[in-house]
Amino acid sequence: MVADAYDAVIVGAGADGPVVAWKLAEAGLSVLVLEAGPFHGNKQWPKPHEDPGAESSSSLDDLSGELLDEQFTTREFEMVNNLLFGPADHRRGFWMRKFPGDGAILQCAGVGGTTLHYTGCHPRAYPAAIDEQGHWPIDYADLIPYYQELEAICEVAPAPVTAKEEVFFRGAAAAGWNLIDEANVTDPGYRPQPNAIRQPDEVLHVDAGYDGDYSAADLTGHTLAVSDISGDPHPRGAPFEEKAKRSSNVSFVPLALGTGNVTIRPNAFVVDVATDGGPTPEATGVTFRDTWSGAVASVDAEVVVLAAGAIETPRLWLNAGLPENEWVGRGLTIHFGDNVMGLWDEDELEGLLGRRTVEQQEGEDIAARFDYPGLGMLQTVGTTPGIGAILGFGASASGFAFQNDTTGEPWDTTGRLVGQELKRLLAGYRRMVQVLVVSDDRPHRRNGVTVQRGVADEHGPIPLVNYRPSEADRKRRDELARIAADILRAAGATHVHRSDSPPTALHLHSTMRMGKVVDDACEAYDVDRLFVADHSVLANGLGGPNPTLTGQAVAARAAEHIQERYFAP
Amino acid sequence: MPRHLLVERLGRYLYEKIRHLVHYKRGDRDLHTKMTFRATVDAVIPRTPELEAELGPEHVPGGLDIGLAEYLVTYVNHGFQLGFPQLGPRGTLSFARPVAKALDVAALKLVLRGHNAEPPSRTFVRPLIEADATASTSLFAAAGPFARLSPEDRLRAIGIVDDIEISVARSEDELFEFNGGLVGQLVVGFAKLIYYSEWQGYENYDEPPSTRIFSDDPGAVQSWRQTGFPGIANGYPALRGYLGTETGSLGDGEVWTTVDVAAEPPVHILHEPGRFRENDYETADFEEVFPEETT
Ligand SMILES: Cc1cc2nc3c(=O)[nH]c(=O)nc-3n(C[C@H](O)[C@H](O)[C@H](O)COP(=O)(O)OP(=O)(O)OC[C@H]3O[C@@H](n4cnc5c(N)ncnc54)[C@H](O)[C@@H]3O)c2cc1C
Repeated sequence: MVADAYDAVIVGAGADGPVVAWKLAEAGLSVLVLEAGPFHGNKQWPKPHEDPGAESSSSLDDLSGELLDEQFTTREFEMVNNLLFGPADHRRGFWMRKFPGDGAILQCAGVGGTTLHYTGCHPRAYPAAIDEQGHWPIDYADLIPYYQELEAICEVAPAPVTAKEEVFFRGAAAAGWNLIDEANVTDPGYRPQPNAIRQPDEVLHVDAGYDGDYSAADLTGHTLAVSDISGDPHPRGAPFEEKAKRSSNVSFVPLALGTGNVTIRPNAFVVDVATDGGPTPEATGVTFRDTWSGAVASVDAEVVVLAAGAIETPRLWLNAGLPENEWVGRGLTIHFGDNVMGLWDEDELEGLLGRRTVEQQEGEDIAARFDYPGLGMLQTVGTTPGIGAILGFGASASGFAFQNDTTGEPWDTTGRLVGQELKRLLAGYRRMVQVLVVSDDRPHRRNGVTVQRGVADEHGPIPLVNYRPSEADRKRRDELARIAADILRAAGATHVHRSDSPPTALHLHSTMRMGKVVDDACEAYDVDRLFVADHSVLANGLGGPNPTLTGQAVAARAAEHIQERYFAP
Repeated sequence: MPRHLLVERLGRYLYEKIRHLVHYKRGDRDLHTKMTFRATVDAVIPRTPELEAELGPEHVPGGLDIGLAEYLVTYVNHGFQLGFPQLGPRGTLSFARPVAKALDVAALKLVLRGHNAEPPSRTFVRPLIEADATASTSLFAAAGPFARLSPEDRLRAIGIVDDIEISVARSEDELFEFNGGLVGQLVVGFAKLIYYSEWQGYENYDEPPSTRIFSDDPGAVQSWRQTGFPGIANGYPALRGYLGTETGSLGDGEVWTTVDVAAEPPVHILHEPGRFRENDYETADFEEVFPEETT
């Protein structure tokens, strides 16, 4: 049951909301988490996409690994449709956002938020991006204790090497780059991903002759089937909390529920933030709409924490008519990215790997990386073929490959691939390695989220997102794409394809920046008792590293400030 | 043909086309949408008899052979929702028809600009109904300007659809405009996602998730036969080890193979995992590669 009032109401149970919930509840506060999407793997919702189910969940006993196994089929098309940002009801489509060009925003709805899709990569920010780029009001050193605490909880460790990572590492070494073994990265080089994924069982070593069913009866840890983007509930048969991929639903949600002070209310889309009418308004609660029934309800709170992600948090602020501030919604960074793919001949692979295929469907999805503070990063990615086709060859800012001349470029083809070329390249699915380019784009005020009266869905005006990289942003990305092509060539790739992707957002941050919209405790400058604790407060794109660890570290830090400011004994 | 004649002919053609579009009966409209989507699928993931000799007969069939165009219409119609609360919680936008119209507009623009490589022709329509035993003359007649382009010119038309604003209206005061970029995403991006995914392997994808029947037989999905994807798996015995050196903290245990012999110390793949080093860091000498003003 949802009560009328709580100490804290948190909007969004994504990567960061559950961290705040856990911290506050552990300190004894009563916490309600309102989440727009469904709750998977919970006995209160045995068929979360088909029936409205119960109202809320407050108990660790509700969590069920068995149900998660059933619901997370790891079939990519089905999972993408179930997880992407939209209502739980499977008969209904995605919630609409307007995004320029033919790029897209990838976010999920559901307890766990976009970490349901995420690949578990949990590196720290680049120290120089925090301390030298001039965006952050706090120091990198302030983050370290939180990094250490959360890395321990999420079991962050160097990712295992399978064939696709070995190809990448050999290429990086041959291209002259050094190995990095550091947690705080200041120089370029390659290293395994620090992944929030339990390492695979040693019985899965290629020499160990494993011949089992990969279930929890046999082993622990990642089972080395690429499925992280499709939810990854492995090992099957493991209890909810023992799944290998430590998405926030698996790591922080059980911690939060375990306190006994947290209620999670899924299928609840927050549409308004209530304030008293004072000169500096104070947040007093929120209004939410049930996504199944359309019923609207309100709840009071001593503090309200927005953790709806970098698009919905500013949208909610704007739609709630909260005070204007020239940086609300502005400064969006998305790690303006690209995709570079290498294809190998069987003979070449035989010499490189001792077998004639790469088999990109094996391993953790993303397990190898290249860092370059000042430019961003590269990471290998194994995908199932559908996601690979849309990410790698589905969209391009430079049109179709047949329209583009690549003379003098380090890639053989660039652009959107179609027809015969597409089919020929994908026929080599088992002989390819894909590299994602993730660049250090900088916050610009023109980029971000606005709303417009009339362009609305059932939750009010929809987010209209603008994103146009600067000249320097483009150069950083292009330089990284070249480095990626060099690495693949150095590893012997016979064909290199660059997507030249249009802006596509997998990592979204800095739309409610610390130092601009919120203070360094994450409380809004213009509304008291209103905090923001999700990736939108990140003051920049962290230099390029995957943002979730830092988002969660900032959220954990915000939770301590909330206690100090409003609940000190 | 002299330029003015061409323009005049195009003008007439455009006029006829627009008149035709306006007068479409509902059934015809659906046929027109279907043909337009078939035309995109045929351009993006065509039949490729050319690949038979090079790669084998399993690489010949394309999207039309598995009903991808029809499913894409359904998917696009049910895939998004927007703001019609008075219609109840399920107010979805039917996007397929506006998408098809936008593609026609793009096709006409392409031809007007003279950027098509081949003249539009009914002969490009024929392959779109060949595989369909139930196809009728009305289906053939429903082909719009986009479907009459050559497959490559269709792609060129998709390439210029970006700058077209498309409106979807349910009533006077509810008009939603989206930009043409979404069209490319739907008819190229999503078409590929669906085609290369497991979609074809369901007996009943339109059923609720818990009652879907899926046989995980890699042979049952045409695209899996083409990519060699071995099907949905619970795991692989694929562990090679952990990157590291003999002196550092990253990996541990015996050397399985060496990745960089020349490095000092050499970089190996080791049997046991290690950890990252909590290093001191210094950022004072950080230099921007491509400087930029701070905002
Ligand atoms: C394919 C993919 C792979 C990724 N891999 C990685 C990775 O390996 N490492 C990494 O660091 N990052 C990764 N990311 C990015 C990462 O998942 C996100 O950066 C992170 O989840 C953002 O956290 P957040 O809390 O800001 O937002 P989210 O995780 O998106 O959570 C926001 C939550 O709020 C809910 N919500 C929104 N609006 C409302 C509302 N009005 N009322 C109630 N609830 C609402 C949403 O449904 C959602 O659950 C990946 C992303 C994608 C798409």
